[in-house]
Amino acid sequence: MSEGFNTAFMLLAVGMITVFTILALIVIFGNILILFVNKFIPEAKVKAVVSRATQGSIDPQKLAVIVSAVDVVTEGRAKVTSITKAE
Amino acid sequence: MEILRNLYEMTAIGSLFQSPETIFMLLIGGFLLYLGIVKGYEPLLLVPIGFGVILANSLGGEMGVVPSNDEIMHMSLLEIAKNHGIMNLLYYSLIKTGLLPPIIFMGVGALTDFGPMLRNLKLAFFGAAAQIGIFSVLLGAIAAGFTLKEAASLGIIGGADGPTAIYTTIKLAPHLLGPIAIAAYSYMALVPVIIPFVVRLTTSKKELKINMKEQDKLYPNKQPIKNLKVLKILFPLMMGGIVAVLVPSAVPLVGMLLFGNLVKEIGSSTERLYKAASGGILNTATIFLGLTVGGTMTASAFLNTQTIMIIVGGFIAFCFSVAGGIYAVKLHNLFVKKKINPLIGATGLSAVPMASRVANELALKNDPSNHLLQYAMASNISGVIGSAVAAGVLISFLS
Repeated sequence: MSEGFNTAFMLLAVGMITVFTILALIVIFGNILILFVNKFIPEAKVKAVVSRATQGSIDPQKLAVIVSAVDVVTEGRAKVTSITKAE
Repeated sequence: MEILRNLYEMTAIGSLFQSPETIFMLLIGGFLLYLGIVKGYEPLLLVPIGFGVILANSLGGEMGVVPSNDEIMHMSLLEIAKNHGIMNLLYYSLIKTGLLPPIIFMGVGALTDFGPMLRNLKLAFFGAAAQIGIFSVLLGAIAAGFTLKEAASLGIIGGADGPTAIYTTIKLAPHLLGPIAIAAYSYMALVPVIIPFVVRLTTSKKELKINMKEQDKLYPNKQPIKNLKVLKILFPLMMGGIVAVLVPSAVPLVGMLLFGNLVKEIGSSTERLYKAASGGILNTATIFLGLTVGGTMTASAFLNTQTIMIIVGGFIAFCFSVAGGIYAVKLHNLFVKKKINPLIGATGLSAVPMASRVANELALKNDPSNHLLQYAMASNISGVIGSAVAAGVLISFLS
């Protein structure tokens, strides 16, 4: 029984330390990853281009939907640069 | 008369009345179906498990899982099917091999969004603190007379993650699979009762009123995310690397979770894989997992004092896990200006996303403007990783 308790206490210590270590590493490396992505691969500011071109002519929510739809359908290969209303 | 006797012997009526414990098991199966169908408690699992119990205890049907022994372990799958029926074929090919829990984890990964965790990475620590229930109940179970492997399988219920509990039990104490799976999924269904119960015992009204968004306004994050899409693709890869190096025994679970998530986050080019992982494959795996777990619950395997102790121990493990997360938040709040609502800690156990929803509702009751779902999800998702890592530690030390 006492051997079982010893192993259980050891597992308590090792288990909790391991879980904390792994999640701590995920937090640390996650933050490094955020810094890296922010610095080297920030998202292209498409919205700004579109808003300038179509300022005042389209609802911002509709604009966001169109930009996202084009992004998904073309797998990120195409960007919306201007929107003109068909007569 | 002879014909009537033959007819009577063909049915299971006679043997049913000779074994009242089988009738009791059929009632348990019916009760699980009632919980799943009428009460809506985890119906996707309790319905197959309940039906599996009924199948397993249908006398003469050969649908009950035979406990593993030397003889059956040396049989081919064809021989198992021939000698012990199709339920044993399913059990020994899909469960005993440990195949289904990682497959289910792949589906869970495909349904998981790491966005909330990325936006609030620090909250991932509470997913670690909430694993205390696993290890503390392991100690209690040793005191109650369980072997180390059995105690570890019981403790893992505190991780509040069904596939993890099943995977660990398959590896360490397969003879306890039925009661442990039932306890794990029942308590997961009872998260809306257990979390408020523990929160009432451990927190004050003042603490529950801590408004996360107001705290964010007072102390904004220093690091905004500029490309969430790319980050969501790189993050699971990075996380997988860390787990693979430090706890390789957790890779079958965490690795499959992260793969499922990756095919989701890549977008339209892997959409078919994402749909398969989160739809057809996940559902098929869930059906066979539920039926075979139910199939292990024959009267002889289920009706004993160990089952009662597992049910009680599982509840304690759940409560300790919730309390562990809450007390970790309280400890954190002692040392920092930016306070965190203790409900975030309460979601450090898995049970995604129900634990987060319950925490959000509790917060809204105390402050109608305190929407903390996104924050709770951060700790909740990290709890999934935490419990899989804890399972990996137990498996690597004890198997």
